[in-house]
Amino acid sequence: MRLGKKIVILLPVAFAAIQFIQPARNKSGQVMPTDISNTLNIPPLVDTLLKTSCYDCHSNNTNYPWYANLQPLGWILNKHILKAKMELNFSDFGSYSSRRQRSKLKSIASQVNDNTMPLASYTWLHKNSKFSKEAKALINDWALKSIETIATGNKK
Amino acid sequence: MKNTFIGNAILAIVLVACNNVNEKTNTVRSDSSVLQQQTGKSASTAIASIKGIVAGYLQLKNALSNDNGNDAANAGKAITGALQNFDTAALKPDQKKVYADVQDDIKEHAEHIGMNADKIAHQREHFEMLSKDIYDLVKAFPAEQTLYKDYCPMYNNGKGAIWLSETKEIKNPYLGKKMPTCGEIKEEIK
Ligand code: HEC
Repeated sequence: MRLGKKIVILLPVAFAAIQFIQPARNKSGQVMPTDISNTLNIPPLVDTLLKTSCYDCHSNNTNYPWYANLQPLGWILNKHILKAKMELNFSDFGSYSSRRQRSKLKSIASQVNDNTMPLASYTWLHKNSKFSKEAKALINDWALKSIETIATGNKK
Repeated sequence: MKNTFIGNAILAIVLVACNNVNEKTNTVRSDSSVLQQQTGKSASTAIASIKGIVAGYLQLKNALSNDNGNDAANAGKAITGALQNFDTAALKPDQKKVYADVQDDIKEHAEHIGMNADKIAHQREHFEMLSKDIYDLVKAFPAEQTLYKDYCPMYNNGKGAIWLSETKEIKNPYLGKKMPTCGEIKEEIK
């Protein structure tokens, strides 16, 4: 058998085989006491924006999309979640020091303003997660205002 | 059949691309552990060690003034190494408090700067936050060298930002060669 033909036959087999390797799910199902909603005031509109566009990667509760079951796409998502949570976990936000909370809010504002977040690969698959100009302004204002409240100690 | 083949090839490419990301972070980690070994012996007292952090910071500041993201990344790694060698045992209680407050934040900014040699704008965002941490840190420790707190009102859409420098001469790390002299000395720390 020619090599090319072997690959053509073997690849679908490998593809089928990897479907059985499913990463553990990131779904705690509860709101932690350290959740950002228990630390800061979040207007309902901002809350919805964050939940729709960020929580899948940056919290302990991922709303798993259809492709999570399709490997290797599910693996890539899983990798993003692990990395994203190390950087910023909205479920753990209350456990950060005040200084770190301020840094994170600042990063949130700049990442959203620069269109770095949500990740492009994510907005491509989740069209409703992409922010409009107005949405970006809302997040930006909320983040900057929250930095002030943390600085003056007037947290929730 | 041809379609499945192309599909699989695409998946394979995606997988390989994804693994590269991992390798990149791994190299960064091993780099900083090398640094740790190099600096490990000299850093036996707390005072020597904050010197290491400040030296790394100044190296970073100078790299950014020269628009050099690679040097900035190396300086970020030097700061991470200096943090790892920091000996908290010799700290006075009020210093301990300040250090505990800034430590995580410095570490994170330094790591980000170390990993983003190709994104200098991103490095500068973290440098701005890092500068505030280093300022608070320096203020809590007896000075070993004179430092200047500089301020440039133009960075950040006119919101302004501070940095620390070892020289009186202004060399702006936020705007780099585009606007090297923007800024003024606000405070002399000694
Ligand atoms: C598809 C997953 C995903 C989504 C959705 C996502 N992120 Fe991220 N985020 C990541 C990953 C992965 C990283 C780590 C980035 C890196 O190392 O390149 C990250 C990093 C970050 C950081 C840290 C960057 C820094 O420089 O400090 C912030 C802040 C952030 N994300 C904010 C957000 C916000 C706000 C949203 C929603 C608008 C969001 N992210 C949506 C995956 C995601």
